[in-house]
Amino acid sequence: MRRWDNRAWLGVLPVVLIVAFSAVVPLMTVVNYSVQDIFDLNNRLFVGFEWYRDTLRDPRFLEALLRQLGFSALVLAIEIPLGILVARNLPRRGASAGVWLVVLAIPLLIPWNVVGTIWQMFARPDIGLLGAGVNALGLDFNFTADPVDAWIVLLMMDVWHWTSLVALLAYAGLAAIPEPYYQAAELDGAGRWQVFRHVELPGLKPVLLIAGLLRLMDSLMIYTEPFVLTGGGPGSSTTFLSQHLTTMAVGQFDLGPAAAFSVLYFLVILLLCWLFYTAVMRSEDVEGGPGGH
Amino acid sequence: MAEIRLDDVAHRYPGAAADTLSGVNLVIPAGEAHALLGGSGAGKTTLVNLLSGLQPPSAGTLSFDGVDVGSLPPRDRRVAQVFQFPVLYQSMTVAEVLAFPLRNRGWKRAAARERARDIAGRLDLTRWLDARAAALPLFQQQLVGIGRALVRPDIALVLLDEPLTAVEPATKWQLRRAIRDVQRELGATMVYVTHDQTEAMTFADRISVVHDGRILQTDTPEALYNRPAHEHVAHFIGSPGMNLLQATVAGGTFRVGDQTVAAARDLGDGPCTLGFRPEWAALDRDGAGPVATVRGARVLGVEAHRPVGIVTADLGGQTVRTRQIIDVEPGDRVALRVDPARLVAFRDGVRVATVEAARA
Repeated sequence: MRRWDNRAWLGVLPVVLIVAFSAVVPLMTVVNYSVQDIFDLNNRLFVGFEWYRDTLRDPRFLEALLRQLGFSALVLAIEIPLGILVARNLPRRGASAGVWLVVLAIPLLIPWNVVGTIWQMFARPDIGLLGAGVNALGLDFNFTADPVDAWIVLLMMDVWHWTSLVALLAYAGLAAIPEPYYQAAELDGAGRWQVFRHVELPGLKPVLLIAGLLRLMDSLMIYTEPFVLTGGGPGSSTTFLSQHLTTMAVGQFDLGPAAAFSVLYFLVILLLCWLFYTAVMRSEDVEGGPGGH
Repeated sequence: MAEIRLDDVAHRYPGAAADTLSGVNLVIPAGEAHALLGGSGAGKTTLVNLLSGLQPPSAGTLSFDGVDVGSLPPRDRRVAQVFQFPVLYQSMTVAEVLAFPLRNRGWKRAAARERARDIAGRLDLTRWLDARAAALPLFQQQLVGIGRALVRPDIALVLLDEPLTAVEPATKWQLRRAIRDVQRELGATMVYVTHDQTEAMTFADRISVVHDGRILQTDTPEALYNRPAHEHVAHFIGSPGMNLLQATVAGGTFRVGDQTVAAARDLGDGPCTLGFRPEWAALDRDGAGPVATVRGARVLGVEAHRPVGIVTADLGGQTVRTRQIIDVEPGDRVALRVDPARLVAFRDGVRVATVEAARA
């Protein structure tokens, strides 16, 4: 005989509370703001999707979104191959392997605003080692005035900061490929490219999926470093979604539009990550991932 | 296919205090199915790595058909290997895996495909040709690995490193037979590494027993079983292994303790180890011979309505096992009857001579 005891529901309560506080409550607050025009505690007006319409028609939002997508695409396109390249050239064992791993981990341990400060100084056209050096070569370089220069420094900074993450993950992935795969390829007379294409890349797929997702999410949320480095300029050429949002919410107290913006921003990240994940997993179905045995 | 020859080959890992392999002499004729049999740590894997070229010999010469290959890298040795678990390229179909070694050596696409198709046919893989290799059942995956090893017509040697490990126990014998059949068909020279004596004995024309970095004996399965050259081989092969009794030769007889076990001529007086297989001996309730006390019996089966199995007895403090009809009980005082013609005597671990040979 089965006895029902509704007190068992109490067991679920902690989880419900945690989920509520961590996700539902804050998110719903934002959703709540995004559909109202709030003047003060007693004066508010339900406006439906008006803020969303406004945001989607706002050229500054669309420009920031385009910039954001371009930045994330470039970050992935540079850091993933570069990270694999670094990982492939690291020593597999011995004392030097440990040293290399520590050196690689250092940028990951530096606070983001410090990274921005370091590069801000490094790239200064007057006294910075990089900026002044490039100018000394006769090239006209000024990242505070030239959008292209600003983007170059921004990308260099992100590559410097985060390629290590991809490299460390790829290193772990390479270490997990059983030695016989390399032996078989050697006996089969495979060249370097074929070893990479048929042994290493399939073996790296799961970690590259993780690395790609992490870099995609992080780069979509990037705020601190460009804020410190360029302040979003020159003009708004390095103003990404998060900085645009902060300006609206904190600088101008446009809470309604900022809330709508936030929801859209969140949905963009969610959608892109889902697309990325699906695309990689689908190619896995066709080509197969490791762990087939 | 090539004749494989190892002359006094040794290998020592860099920085190691002792040789992993030493004094290895072995000739494997072209087309032979050869097994390397030994426990873990015996040096089998090192020997395979020397043959494939993953490790260079530290001493001695290794030649294929008279050509010294000791310093050639693996890819230039015409060697292929089948691993313990299927090692297949994740993104390739069976046809692509099979054609891969050929394409890497400059074969035209059509010719490589033709050859791959031929090999797949011999291994009953034709219907899987366009399937992704790594998605097949383990049995077929391992067959693909074997096909890849055999696909190059100029292959000198195929190494199989415990190839049945990953396969389900019930299908091990099928895979072993498939390997053996295609080996015969193509006349491939194969070296099959295993710790399992049944696998070795049912697969190989000849077996090398590897122990402690040396080859103790290379012989046919029958010879290894009947005339082990070394105490370790006698003990290692057979289940249970040979009885090995500490004995002395005195006045033309083998004596264990104060009992005479059998006649021994021309061996020379002194201590020796006396070996005989459990089925070459029996323990009888009535009969003449050295007296032993039965300790126990393990029934293995029934023959002619009588239980048959292993009887364990105590002979002057040493254990004797026989395979016989179980008509004795623990505590019985019994007589040990051994076929004197099949007795093997060892001194310092090495066979001196069978009694038969000593008599001749």
